[in-house]
Amino acid sequence: MARRKKSSHQPLWIIAAIVLLAAAFLGSALFQSTGNDPFRTVAVLDIPAYLDNANSLRGNIYKVEGEVSNSLAWSPSSGRLIAVDVKDDTIPVLVTNEFNAINIQKGQKFIFVIEVDENGVLKTKDLSKA
Amino acid sequence: MKKVCFILAAAAAAHAQVPDSQPPASGAPAPAASQSGGSQSASSSGSKGSQQGFLGQDVPFFDPGSDIVQWNGKSWNINNNRIFEARFEKFLNAPEATTESDRDYNRLLSQIMDKLAPNTISAKSTDEAFQLLPQASEFDIDARLCDAIANQVYASWLAKRSNDRLTAANQSLEKERQRLEWNSKMTASGSSLGGPSSSDGAAVEEWKKQQQLKRDMEMQPLATRLAEVNALLKANQLKREVAELQVKIEFQALIVQHFLQRRFQHVVIGTRFYRSIFSDGDSLLRVGEDSKSLFSKTTGMPPTVGTLDSLANEAMRDVREGVQAFKFLLEKDELESATKRLAETFILGEYMPEVRTITRDDKRRALAFVQKSNQLISAIEVKDYALAEKLVKDLDVSAKDFDNSKPMAAIETARTVAAMHIAKAKNAAVSGDKTTLENELKSATEIWPRNPALAEVGGMIFSQADVQQRALVDFDQLLSQKNHRQIFDDKMRFIAATAMYPQKQEQLRKVLDDMAVIEAAIIRAQEVEKRGDYAGAWESAESAFLQFPDDNKLNQVRANLTTKAADFVRALKRAEEQEKKDQLGSSLAWYLKAQKNYPASDFARDGIERINAQLLPDAK
Repeated sequence: MARRKKSSHQPLWIIAAIVLLAAAFLGSALFQSTGNDPFRTVAVLDIPAYLDNANSLRGNIYKVEGEVSNSLAWSPSSGRLIAVDVKDDTIPVLVTNEFNAINIQKGQKFIFVIEVDENGVLKTKDLSKA
Repeated sequence: MKKVCFILAAAAAAHAQVPDSQPPASGAPAPAASQSGGSQSASSSGSKGSQQGFLGQDVPFFDPGSDIVQWNGKSWNINNNRIFEARFEKFLNAPEATTESDRDYNRLLSQIMDKLAPNTISAKSTDEAFQLLPQASEFDIDARLCDAIANQVYASWLAKRSNDRLTAANQSLEKERQRLEWNSKMTASGSSLGGPSSSDGAAVEEWKKQQQLKRDMEMQPLATRLAEVNALLKANQLKREVAELQVKIEFQALIVQHFLQRRFQHVVIGTRFYRSIFSDGDSLLRVGEDSKSLFSKTTGMPPTVGTLDSLANEAMRDVREGVQAFKFLLEKDELESATKRLAETFILGEYMPEVRTITRDDKRRALAFVQKSNQLISAIEVKDYALAEKLVKDLDVSAKDFDNSKPMAAIETARTVAAMHIAKAKNAAVSGDKTTLENELKSATEIWPRNPALAEVGGMIFSQADVQQRALVDFDQLLSQKNHRQIFDDKMRFIAATAMYPQKQEQLRKVLDDMAVIEAAIIRAQEVEKRGDYAGAWESAESAFLQFPDDNKLNQVRANLTTKAADFVRALKRAEEQEKKDQLGSSLAWYLKAQKNYPASDFARDGIERINAQLLPDAK
């Protein structure tokens, strides 16, 4: 009888262990993901809202992560204007001169902290490789 | 003889005629003018001898060669004279004079002439003939001419009776003269009884003187009376001669008047009465010099009553012959000759029974020909050659002897010359030579005003002008509406219409150049569309649309492509909107999105470059 009772508790322990292991894995993964984003406190840019009316976002700071698709222009005084693919959209980002040291090439992924200026231009405040 | 008859007949006919019209201006076709031309020349020649004379005017003259009558310095063509035509047509329409009254009248005239005929005339028959004159004058056709003859005969008889009385008086005077002459002779011979003795010479001498004085005193009244009687005798003789001469002149004047009135039967009656009354053998006509020369020039002899008689008889014979010829020619369907003979006969013998008894049916046939002939003359005069040709054909059919050479020559000449002018006008119209066109049309119109070809050509030219004007109006209207597409679709019409207007030609050229660009853009868009490149096709259409936003066809193509490249177009449009709002960032984002949709987009590339230049003015 006793032997029979002992064997009935084993599956529960196994399930609990699995659940703990899964929780540990998920927690680790979550930690991993948030732990690599240095601008995790900055709000993500609402691309549709930006395309629809940039004025409403003027002066705000957002972060946006995307892949550099093209270099549009370069100004010695203002910096580099690049095109960044974000999902299905492409947005222009002005990488100011303070980031001249960073090589920005087509196909690279970056996280940009940007400020929406008065012309709706996304001016880089910070950036890091994604 | 015939000529004389025509002269006299024309003299009467001329009363009812008006001057022939002047010939048309030179350059007109010949035949219509030929008759008038003839009259003109005759007129000029006839007017040279114009002088006051018989009947106060010239002696009329008829030239059978040209059918021209000259009188008082004017000329008439007897075949082309409205009064004569009217009179002749009235006669042709009148019924034949075969009534009982007409027959009675003719019978009476015949009886009178028979009774006065030289072989049967007597005092009794003369009286009987005289009694018939009042009966004849009661007929309307006689116009009281027999009355005039009767009056003249009666006046002559009265004059003769007066002469008889003068003769009787003269006989008494002659006896008185003879008695006075005898008495004078007796008185002059004196008496030698009771004188002194011859020894006493002085006494004898004294006695002789006394005797001579006594005789002279006795002779004085006798001589005076004798002179008076002689004077009375001479005066009576002169009076008788003057009275007779006056009556003769009156009678002759009446006969001449009847002759000129073409009352030839009355002339014959008058001459026969004249001869019976004045049987002294003196029948010399004592009329004016002009009237006398009318006869003497044709006969070559001084005119007499006998001349009038023979001329009248000859005229009557000529009338009879003319009527026979008319009837014969009518039977042969030779209407032209028949009508001419009838016209000639009518002029001469209008009042002759032979003419007046021609049946109305016969006259109507001639009338139909006359009417058409007159119509033909009028048609040629007014240069209506189409109608003239039709009439010539009709006359050819109805009258076997109708000579169509003159009218046909006129028609053909007019047609040829008019055709040449019309051809020149057409050439001028094609080459745009307005002056020549107008001149040639004017010339063609002058030659043949009612030329059907002229109307056709005129209509064509005017309709062309109308079409051209309408096209120009349409062009201006479409241009103001900027409806270049309509102008392009109807370009051939407008090219032709503006050919003579350099300013409009330039406007049209610009429109067509623009349309060529639009058409090229449309074709290009359609070709690109066929490859499935809707965005590229739209861009091609949009490029042209920006330049020519009013073209409907381009708009349609562009609208179709807009739906097919909706995302691309939407991105571009949003980019443009944001650009206008100075939202350069958003605008650039939209341009980039459009470029992502259609990487070859010129609009997107240009937009990006434009925004870049604004954002980074010092960009390198």
